Amino acid sequence: MNLTSQQKRKKARTAGRPRLSAIWLIYAREMRDQLRDRRTLFTIAILPILLYPLVGMLLLQIAQFTRQHPTSIVVVGTEFLTDAPPLLEGEKFAEGLADNNERLELIHYKWSDIASHSDVAEETSAWVRDGSFDLVIMVPPEFADSSLRGVDEKASVQLLYNVASDQSMVARDRVMTVLSAWRGSWIRDRLATSGVDMTMLDPFKLNDVDIAPERTREAAFWSKLLPFIMLVWAMTGAFYPAIDLVAGEKERGTLETLLCSPALRGEIVWGKLGAVTTFSMLTAILNAGSMLVTSTFVFGQIGLGGANAAMGSPPLAPMLWLLVALVPLSALFSALALAVAAMARSSKEGQYYLMPLMMVTLPLVLLPMLPGTTLSVGTSLIPVTGMFLLVRSLVEGQYATAIMYIPMVAFVTGLCLWMATRWARSQFDDESVLFGGGEQWELSMWVRHLWRDRQTAATPAQAFACGAIILVTLFFGKLAVTDVPTDFVGIAKLVSLPQFAMILFPAIMMALVLTTSVRKSLRIRMPHWTVLPLSVLVGFTLHPAYTLLARSVSYAYPISEEAALAMQPFVQQITDAPWVSIILLMALVPAICEELAFRGFIFGGLVRENGRFRAVVVTAIMFGISHGIVQQSICATFMGLMLGWVALRTGSVLPGILIHFTNNTMSVSMDRIMNSGWEGSQLLMHSTEAGPEYRPVWIIISTLMAVACLLYIASLRPAVDEAKADLVESDLEYIDPTKAIAVSM
Amino acid sequence: MIHVQHLTKTYDDLQRGRFVAVDEVSFSVNRGEIFGLLGPNGAGKTTVLRILSTVLSPTSGIANVAGYDVVTDPAEVRRHIGFVSNNTAIYDRMTAWEMVEYFGRLHGMSASHLNERLETLFTQLRMNDFRDVPGAKMSTGMKQKVSIARAMVHDPPVLIFDEATLGLDVLVARNLLAVIRSLRDAGKCLIFSTHIMSEVERLCDRIAIMHRGKILDSGTLPELRDRHDEHDFEELFFGLLSRHEHADCEALQSHPDGLAPVDFTNPATSMEARS
Ligand SMILES: Nc1ncnc2c1ncn2[C@@H]1O[C@H](COP(=O)(O)OP(=O)(O)OP(=O)(O)O)[C@@H](O)[C@H]1O
Ligand SMILES: [Mg+2]
Repeated sequence: MNLTSQQKRKKARTAGRPRLSAIWLIYAREMRDQLRDRRTLFTIAILPILLYPLVGMLLLQIAQFTRQHPTSIVVVGTEFLTDAPPLLEGEKFAEGLADNNERLELIHYKWSDIASHSDVAEETSAWVRDGSFDLVIMVPPEFADSSLRGVDEKASVQLLYNVASDQSMVARDRVMTVLSAWRGSWIRDRLATSGVDMTMLDPFKLNDVDIAPERTREAAFWSKLLPFIMLVWAMTGAFYPAIDLVAGEKERGTLETLLCSPALRGEIVWGKLGAVTTFSMLTAILNAGSMLVTSTFVFGQIGLGGANAAMGSPPLAPMLWLLVALVPLSALFSALALAVAAMARSSKEGQYYLMPLMMVTLPLVLLPMLPGTTLSVGTSLIPVTGMFLLVRSLVEGQYATAIMYIPMVAFVTGLCLWMATRWARSQFDDESVLFGGGEQWELSMWVRHLWRDRQTAATPAQAFACGAIILVTLFFGKLAVTDVPTDFVGIAKLVSLPQFAMILFPAIMMALVLTTSVRKSLRIRMPHWTVLPLSVLVGFTLHPAYTLLARSVSYAYPISEEAALAMQPFVQQITDAPWVSIILLMALVPAICEELAFRGFIFGGLVRENGRFRAVVVTAIMFGISHGIVQQSICATFMGLMLGWVALRTGSVLPGILIHFTNNTMSVSMDRIMNSGWEGSQLLMHSTEAGPEYRPVWIIISTLMAVACLLYIASLRPAVDEAKADLVESDLEYIDPTKAIAVSM
Repeated sequence: MIHVQHLTKTYDDLQRGRFVAVDEVSFSVNRGEIFGLLGPNGAGKTTVLRILSTVLSPTSGIANVAGYDVVTDPAEVRRHIGFVSNNTAIYDRMTAWEMVEYFGRLHGMSASHLNERLETLFTQLRMNDFRDVPGAKMSTGMKQKVSIARAMVHDPPVLIFDEATLGLDVLVARNLLAVIRSLRDAGKCLIFSTHIMSEVERLCDRIAIMHRGKILDSGTLPELRDRHDEHDFEELFFGLLSRHEHADCEALQSHPDGLAPVDFTNPATSMEARS
């Protein structure tokens, strides 16, 4: 045991690395533990295996039941069908009018049979209403008079049906075809008697042939449905084990046992994540498999397959692609579920937390189900949706398309997976997540706590709240604006009001009320003096790259024509207004308001407790969403990442304001610079149909310059390390009694 | 083997604001010694021991266990300790044997060595008759035994017991105390928290009395008796506590505007059982 301290350090360092053997050990234990749990086994294995066949059996029964009930139809007034082509033939419709006479039950009455004892219309309506017959065809006495037939309403043939009954609606459709066939044959008869050539009525023959290969046709149906089923089950399958493995263990007290064992937090997370992912995949596969087998069988029995094989049994081999895609998606859902479940203190609480997670992820699964959603640059970049669409095209055999999008989908999925696992990991390092909470919550107590425990900067929770308030008010603000004003004053109001009232105001108010120092909580600090001119330079040199980004984004997600048209008066006003006021309105105001809110108050809260990464990413996303229009949001998010990084490096909000201001100034000034006749402008840009654009050479040079500036900024160290800054800087009076004396004197 | 200097831990708590659960605590425990941490409910004993077992990280101060710092080398610290607390439960769906074996394997013990060790432990702690009983069907005493076996499986030089006798009957508790004593004789370093005085009197070599996160006094039992001139240990304990309460009240009364995070005017609050 006599190790030198250096040897000890070395040993300790290796002890801090995750070991595969330990991960495997934890994984195996969690798996065994779950498999010993009757409830898990039931929901994951037994339920799907039993559920689908049971539902299938039920379906079969219902199908048989409906088959024993052919459509029943009554024809009243047969005696008036005298001088027409035959509609009825005994107890059936005439030959050639109905496709399938067998499943029709036809009864007919003479008008006089019924009229003799009651009112015909009332009697027959009652039949349909009470369901004794699905449909009544009424041929009124006036029909017999051929002079009235074509003109008088009274002479028209009436169909009585009940829209509330499916059977009746089916009957109506069938009878409509029969009647139109009948009318056709009548017309043909008449034309023939007047000596018209019958071939003239049919100038050409139509024959539509589906040339899609058998496999694709079946795949088309299944490739939509099966991924959906699988993803939904993968989600559900991840939730319950995740709750049990984290919240449940917290509740039972076994988590602390594991935490004080030599297992590292990383090993624990990976082991648990593995187990949850396995269960998620198993649930998805068992459910989808059971559904496949059952439905193949049931559809075969009902006879929906076969001829119009839209729903025939799915081709199995291409479905293997689904399994490949299932691995990363299951892992993604599992990591998210694990991270969310870690916040709960009990299984019950965990279920409350997972519901919102479901609400957030479900749209991503539903989006590809919308008709017309196909794999494109835009959709492939949406997490989960992209993967879903990729699988669909693989299953349908469109390999060429699929291969093109594989890198993008893989990148997006990988990125999401990385972020989700990182989140799960950080949850397990956070002792307030693992041990916190448990106290009861009271409004007055909470308000007191907010006031009493004010700190120099926002807490992460306050930062999140501020972001949420801004985004929600912006959303409702947008709803309130119904039409775009046409004069400059109106536009100025439209632009500046949200900036001041919905972005800046909440941040300033929260800074005033919830923190002890407005200046510090908004991060108004002087960075190294070189940063300020450099920021202007960054804003200027990064603008070409930014416009390039904006153009590629609007290429990937084209702006709809209506939106562009609606923006037209707005754009017009902006071009016509004086330059200075435009710069004030479109550059200065947003730069100050947005930066103080996002890179100031919110960033300052999120960066604490070692949340550097969180601060940069979350403020960028919030900043993006605040822009409202999807295309702008995407560009703004990237811009926000850069601004956030600068804010992190400089520890101040000022460089961000300068970059933002310069960038926006350039955006609104390109036209004017181009038209100013200044010769230098020709070096940097050239005019195109879509307005002035930067020259490619300048884009490259300027971007390099911007990168150089940013590298210089990266080499700086902020004056204060906000990420590690202590929570309370000035509130420690109660510990130091001498301070209290000083105050009282 | 355990050195703690100026250890402080604060919690952010809705009701009390920033709450100092452990306040500048310092002590050290040597090999072959049982150190008793005595204090009323909410004194901060569990918090200190959780920091020593690296489950929580200290707000400030240094804690060194078996030559490793709890902040920089938590993994090494955990390899050298066994931690038993009433918060470290055992798995419901694992048998006694599986449970102890699992933690042995997490410690990286080889299969044959582990088997040998398990046999000795199960005999030593008299656990052979419920080897294959799953955790859910065990009594409190059985569970506690399994926890202790779990903590001792890798034969750690440092053992930390947090209210290990809680909920045990006299028989099992005595047995446990005997085990702890034999561990001391084997040269282990033991730290033991409790609020039961008799246990402390009988077992501990040195004692620290904790209250509201502070160590009021520490030393061997005779030393404490001498210093406070009080033979009865229980009287000594209460005297110390009430003197401390008193000092706090006076401090508060002389500076009424000093905002207190804890309600000092009611000395009874901290003595009540936590809900
Ligand atoms: N996660 C937490 N968040 C907030 N406060 C906590 C937390 N854990 C413990 N505390 C508080 O810290 C103080 C010390 O608690 P601790 O559990 O260390 O006491 P203890 O001496 O072990 O008491 P007991 O004898 O009841 O076990 C208590 O006032 C408790 O309310
Ligand atoms: Mg305790």
